[in-house]
Amino acid sequence: MRIFDPHIHMTSRTTNDYEALYASGVRALVEPAFWLGQPRTNVGSFTDYFDSLLGWERFRAAQFGIRHHATIALNPKEANDPRCVPVLDELPRYLVKEGVVAVGEIGYDSMTPAEDEAFSRQLELALEFSLPAMVHTPHREKLAGTHRTLDVVRESGIAPGMVVVDHLNETNAEIVKDAGAWMGFSIYPDTKMDEQRMVAILQRYGTERVLVNSAADWGRSDPLKTSSTANAMLAAGFTADDVDRVFWLNPVEFYGQSGQLILDPIPGFDAADLPDAGAGFEGNSVLRGARA
Amino acid sequence: MPFSLGYGTNGFADHPLPVALTLLAEQGYDAVALTLGHPHLDPFADDLDVQLRELRSRLDDLGFRIVIETGTRFLLDPRHKHRPALVDEEAAARVDFLRHAVDIAAALQAECVSFFSGILPSDTAPETGWQRLTSRVADIVDYAGRKNVLLAVEPEPGMLVQTVADALRLRDQVGRPDNLRITVDIGHCVVVEPSGVRGALLQAGPLLANVQLDDMRSHAHEHLPFGEGIVDLPLALATLAEIGYRGVAAVELPRHSHDAPGLAVRSIQALRTGWEASGSMREASGWLTQSTTAVAADPGTLTTVFATAGRRLGRNPLRPEADPSGVLFGTTTDHARGRFIGSLAGLLSPDDLADALLALYGGGDSAERRGVLRGLGDLASSAPNLPDAVVSVGLRVTTEALRTNESGIVAAAVGPFAAAHLDQHNWRHAVLKLVFMGISLSAVAGLRERADAELARMAGDFAAERRAAGRSVPEDVQLLLQPSSSSHTSS
Repeated sequence: MRIFDPHIHMTSRTTNDYEALYASGVRALVEPAFWLGQPRTNVGSFTDYFDSLLGWERFRAAQFGIRHHATIALNPKEANDPRCVPVLDELPRYLVKEGVVAVGEIGYDSMTPAEDEAFSRQLELALEFSLPAMVHTPHREKLAGTHRTLDVVRESGIAPGMVVVDHLNETNAEIVKDAGAWMGFSIYPDTKMDEQRMVAILQRYGTERVLVNSAADWGRSDPLKTSSTANAMLAAGFTADDVDRVFWLNPVEFYGQSGQLILDPIPGFDAADLPDAGAGFEGNSVLRGARA
Repeated sequence: MPFSLGYGTNGFADHPLPVALTLLAEQGYDAVALTLGHPHLDPFADDLDVQLRELRSRLDDLGFRIVIETGTRFLLDPRHKHRPALVDEEAAARVDFLRHAVDIAAALQAECVSFFSGILPSDTAPETGWQRLTSRVADIVDYAGRKNVLLAVEPEPGMLVQTVADALRLRDQVGRPDNLRITVDIGHCVVVEPSGVRGALLQAGPLLANVQLDDMRSHAHEHLPFGEGIVDLPLALATLAEIGYRGVAAVELPRHSHDAPGLAVRSIQALRTGWEASGSMREASGWLTQSTTAVAADPGTLTTVFATAGRRLGRNPLRPEADPSGVLFGTTTDHARGRFIGSLAGLLSPDDLADALLALYGGGDSAERRGVLRGLGDLASSAPNLPDAVVSVGLRVTTEALRTNESGIVAAAVGPFAAAHLDQHNWRHAVLKLVFMGISLSAVAGLRERADAELARMAGDFAAERRAAGRSVPEDVQLLLQPSSSSHTSS
């Protein structure tokens, strides 16, 4: 079982996590630029962070056999701080760099005029640099925020297939699907989505244009939520091909639109030592029963 | 390939010329390098005109291009090879023969007449040789000019003109006539050219009118089949493409007529394989040319141009067999970026170059930073006395790189620039850091020259610390424990 986590903040994770990710089948991931928990106070703080995503973090991931990519942007929360907004002028030089697969995370936090401005300017950058856009939906006012997000996307002129709207749930998945954008779901221990609800969503909407991620970061989160959701899919009767579609082919198709995905195995790591989906789920008979 | 592949008839001495041409056409060659004289075309034959008409007609049928070679060993003097030569006291027979070759080239509509200078007689001063050569070549050039024929002087190991630099000197002395060009034999380059095949071809540049292809070892002027010597064939072919060469490049194996049909097959296979292998180099050269032009026109494009190399050129290791991950010797893109830095040195003032290096490193991702470090290495290798501003920025960037823990960046920081300019204390720490990080010391430039007793002590302490902890000692530590003295000659 090969896994591509389309949204995970490895800067906040340990080498133990990298080892566990590799063991679970993760061979590629995308780390979106986001808020660090502690607010930034200047542009240099962003550029050091971007450099770290494209440099040290990619190197660190490679030491554990995992291809690391990044999305670059001014995040919605910090778009409200005038000390941070000038980082928008630094983005173009990052968007041409190797392994930058989207503009993101962009979108809304509190739906302020400053967020409107940063969101639409960064959708323009995505168009200019032929990159997909990764759009975060707000924690509060999620449904209203998603409607407004889709309006802004429509007005920008970017093709909906170049946009993933992330952190969706049962209430807002359908409007994103109808808009023709990609649906992103984050599986969390408590908040956002869990494995069983995710399986139900897949049963309802199918596997097309769906990205499932752990969105693991410095908060309470679990980088192995991708593999546990994959196993939940198998247990619920989805085939190994369905799982491969959701956890590998879909993210490859979406981010592949950047022309910047690097997926050949890292030298020194064997392409063939993936965990076997059929033997997965701890060899549990539940799985065998479900697949019969 | 943008040039025509041919084969020298001196490698087909056991086949009649029409048969040799047929065999070559069958294998896909579309040119021939015809050596005048025994056994194929006697330049003094009574029926020469008839023979030339028949040959031209045969070449037309095959769609072949032709160059005229004049290196027949015993044509003019049955007892002494290549005598008389243009550098001999008496050379009328040679001058007459070359004029005659010009007539033949005109009749055959050949691309050029290739000739060499000859070995300076042991009792003749070089200046005398140059005077003789200059006046005689001037005479032949003048004659060829009236016949609208190109001449190409071929540097030969051991002759008065043995490098492209010598050929350029001769051309200068004759007054740089347009119809005096240059032949390069790529095998000769590994024997006598100070900057190798690539350097020699670049030096000849637009003056290149004829190319001979063969392999050779560095210690012996002996033409070998491809694969038996040390010529970097993909590099040679990529360089020919880079300089826009459109003429004839012909296999030159004058001592292998006994196996001519087999070698004609194997040679063109080797050339095709070499051309395919040169694809990434040609792509890199194309990027380099376009990028240099773009930055010359608008310096504001510098950082974007530098960044896009990664997308265009890929991440293949430069020496995949020795270094599959590209950590030690870098990737093709690292080196293309390095060469780009080298070409910036020709565009920018030292202060502007220093600013550019700082901007590219500071704004670069890991791969771009490796490219800047490789570029510093190229700059240091090509100029022993770099401008102070460049050295100052180079040291700043190098020491910054050596503070990182990213193996590819650290390995790129211990190249020729560090060897030439980094102070001894920081250089020792850099070397020990490689051992500590498990990076092979083969990444270090100038290791033997700069290793000293203090580094040996540091390596010894490091080994003791590892043993005290019950851990293994990296093999490379051994290389440091017994320093070569400064008088030690490197092998």
